[in-house]
Amino acid sequence: MEYKNETVSIEGGWPMEHWQWKFESLALIRKTLEALREKKLLGLKCPGCGLVYFMPKPYCRCLSIPDEWVEVKDTGTVTTYTFTGAWAYEGIADEGPAGTPLIIVGIVLDGTDTMTVCTLSDAKPEDVSVGMRIRLQWPENPEGKLEDLAYCVPL
Amino acid sequence: MAKSEVAVAGVGLSKHVSKRRDVNIAELVWEAVSACYENAGLKPKDIDAFITGNMPAFEGVNLPEEWGAGHWGAYGKPLLRITTGGTTGGSVAHGGYYAVASGLYDTVLAIAFEKQSDGNSTAGLNTVAIADAAAQFALGVDPAFLAAFGGGAVGVAVYQASSYMKSSGCTTQHLDKVAALCRNNAALNPYSHLKQPGLTPEEVAKTVLLQHPIRFGHVCPATDGACAMLFTTGEKARRLVDKPAYVLSVASCSDEAAMVGIAGSGTTNVDPCTQESCKIAAARAYELAGIKDPRKEIDLAEPYAPFAHQMLMFYERLLLCDEGEAPAILDSGSMNLDGELPVCPSGGVISTNAIGASAMERVAECAQQIMGRCGERQVKKEVHKAVAHGWGGAVNLNVVAVLSDTPRR
Amino acid sequence: MDKEVAIIGYAQTPYEADAEASREMQVLEVTKAALAAAGLKREQLDTVITANNDYLDGRTISNMRLVEPSGAWQKNESKVEMDGAYAALYALMRILSGDHGIAMVVGESQASVYGGYIPGTMMLDPTFDRQRGLLNEVSASALQARAYMNACGVSEEQLAGVAAKNLANAAKNPLALRADGKADVKKVLSSRLLYSPIRELMASPLCDGACAVVLASGKVAAKSGNPVWIKGVGFSHDSYLSERSLAEMSSLKDAARRCYAMAGIEDPASQLDLAEVHECFAHEELMAYEALGLCAAGEGGAFFDSGTTSMDGSLPVNASGGALAANVACAAGLARIIEAAMQIRGEAGDHQVKGVRTAVAHGQTGICAQENIIYVLGGE
Repeated sequence: MEYKNETVSIEGGWPMEHWQWKFESLALIRKTLEALREKKLLGLKCPGCGLVYFMPKPYCRCLSIPDEWVEVKDTGTVTTYTFTGAWAYEGIADEGPAGTPLIIVGIVLDGTDTMTVCTLSDAKPEDVSVGMRIRLQWPENPEGKLEDLAYCVPL
Repeated sequence: MAKSEVAVAGVGLSKHVSKRRDVNIAELVWEAVSACYENAGLKPKDIDAFITGNMPAFEGVNLPEEWGAGHWGAYGKPLLRITTGGTTGGSVAHGGYYAVASGLYDTVLAIAFEKQSDGNSTAGLNTVAIADAAAQFALGVDPAFLAAFGGGAVGVAVYQASSYMKSSGCTTQHLDKVAALCRNNAALNPYSHLKQPGLTPEEVAKTVLLQHPIRFGHVCPATDGACAMLFTTGEKARRLVDKPAYVLSVASCSDEAAMVGIAGSGTTNVDPCTQESCKIAAARAYELAGIKDPRKEIDLAEPYAPFAHQMLMFYERLLLCDEGEAPAILDSGSMNLDGELPVCPSGGVISTNAIGASAMERVAECAQQIMGRCGERQVKKEVHKAVAHGWGGAVNLNVVAVLSDTPRR
Repeated sequence: MDKEVAIIGYAQTPYEADAEASREMQVLEVTKAALAAAGLKREQLDTVITANNDYLDGRTISNMRLVEPSGAWQKNESKVEMDGAYAALYALMRILSGDHGIAMVVGESQASVYGGYIPGTMMLDPTFDRQRGLLNEVSASALQARAYMNACGVSEEQLAGVAAKNLANAAKNPLALRADGKADVKKVLSSRLLYSPIRELMASPLCDGACAVVLASGKVAAKSGNPVWIKGVGFSHDSYLSERSLAEMSSLKDAARRCYAMAGIEDPASQLDLAEVHECFAHEELMAYEALGLCAAGEGGAFFDSGTTSMDGSLPVNASGGALAANVACAAGLARIIEAAMQIRGEAGDHQVKGVRTAVAHGQTGICAQENIIYVLGGE
């Protein structure tokens, strides 16, 4: 019997709204965010292996629970980068980059062991490189939100 | 030391294209499974156990073998489901190896597949991060702010590519060259998806920049496809086929989950091109296989490279050269089909990416090159030992297998 | 198998309806406790296998965030997307291969996260059963219960009796979620009707939790304090629920045949001292008696009535309370292995059965117990 001449596609879905995840990290991150109001950067140190997590993380690869809050510096090093612009979201165009490219850098703050991402301002794409030194650019009035950490500048 | 010698006695692949609307999941898988039965000369009744896996978010189906496995001959048989994200296919192949090596099962069919067109691929990938994103929304983070850091369509690969290029001296011309090499190899592979015979690096360089440094031409397609492999004891494999491919060793290594821009990650992403876990997995696999100098002993490599820079990066992380040497080795022509150490002769993941199957297809290609069954894309040199790799998770999982034309020891 | 692989440590969280901790922290807790129980450090692990499911976690690659909590950092790690009893099987294969000596096996999920029966409906055949909206894990099992009762002359009272026995046993298990020392047939039959004939107390409670087992090769295990040896294992995948007779557990029967052959069990009823069965619904325990060969086919109800499987019987089943007391998807079967090992070691506390030397532990995956795995475990 020939049965492959006609197939039917059926609608279906994954009703994600029914999942309610749990995170210890939320409470930890809230504490770090709260400290931003005073322009303080709080990392979380593991008692087992000494790693300093920024942002904080509730468990460590060595099976210990990081529990010591440590203040870390607002200077750091770029470990990776990319730049993006309107072209990345508006589909594929022939005439290359449009608008001002947004430079995104992965940074490791001095005194921490994990990477976080940030936007590099006061720099052109050709200026950015792995290994370059940066300083966080604090907003005038930090609001205790992740957006307070949005920008850094070359040091 | 394994109780039993383990060998691959058959490989089957389905047709690989972007949308297989003419078959359902079970039927798509059957194409690979039936081809494998045929080229190993076996029937479903000869199989002692099945190992299967895919990345179920892509189809929107939980445990598809519950209603699909009957189509593959697995009802009334032992069946084990192994899923590990991008490495799923490799992990399923490893399962096939262990099932035989344990001495518990003689003849094991390992099946890996993905039918991405049944779901929404971007939605499927987003489910990797959705729980973490949900946490950030709970903190009041603007979704647009998160999206900007996520790396857009090409995700973490852009960060990895720029750090790799910085540390190795790899240029965008090298990325273009990798894409051209793979797509030309794919053109010789009847089971590949993106076939672009005669594609030149210059043409790749003209494709649109998605996000620095990655262009459209440097990125894998989304594919529907399935792969099946028959694992059995060395003794039985020698009875079934003229030239079996022996599995010398398998090894995996998992690092801390690391999502760029997402809080709560570990150290893996400090420099996303380090891929320490790939080096550890490779070293473990070589040691188990009795390989002392992989650079001299490995004849062929199938690294898992959905993005162009990864073919070079993983060539290095598979300990096939010093770090930073891969771009020059590419330039030398050594990675070509007629080179000294051909890389991605199948066309690689950059040409064909049925996600759950991809990491198995690396192992399958190594096996088929050793068995001399690769037709037009059969590499020029004789392949004694080959290394197959898989990569996935939140850039933190690596799996490695070493195959050979002669048994261990 | 003779003294090739043994259980040398284990741990379980308490089972809760809505745990305070995330899955990651629950896994961290049991991993550390199981390592401590085995007298090992994380560095000594060769391989780690977790059991979890992308739909239960609501996130694809559900093992990805468990690498650190399960002790798998830079270890040879993999994931089985089935019950934890299958993860133990994969760990067993890895040890038997000779490539690995010590394995950590973890099973976990949190029903408070995944929203009840939705992941289960996503297991249905998507082109037909899922579209019609009639079947879910409970309604399909109700059809199975009725088919079995009809074929074997089992009554609702007998199903209620199984539930009452297990809930009463659970009253002596401090980790159980649902327990009732005074449970009886009347109480179970007056609980809320879900899908006839299944009532709330005949259905396992969805819950949160994690458990972990450390497996070791014979060489390592022989040096440990009190190894529980894996004597046999068997597993089998049944046909889809609409393509088989629901009145028997044919894949469990097949699994038992394979397992008993390996363990040298010829007369299970006399050679086994205890069974821990993964019964998602009360009728499954009766069906399992038959499939495991504890009684003749069709005799499950009468066998239960004989009292053989109660705490003071000659072959107690689910002394822990079984899955009717706590059913963590992807962990409940592994928990059965732990409970059986605990009984063999004499560490079961208030629910200890005297003189357990050989026990059987069962795990399942899929709707209407489509996939089944069993182990025979034994002491020295």
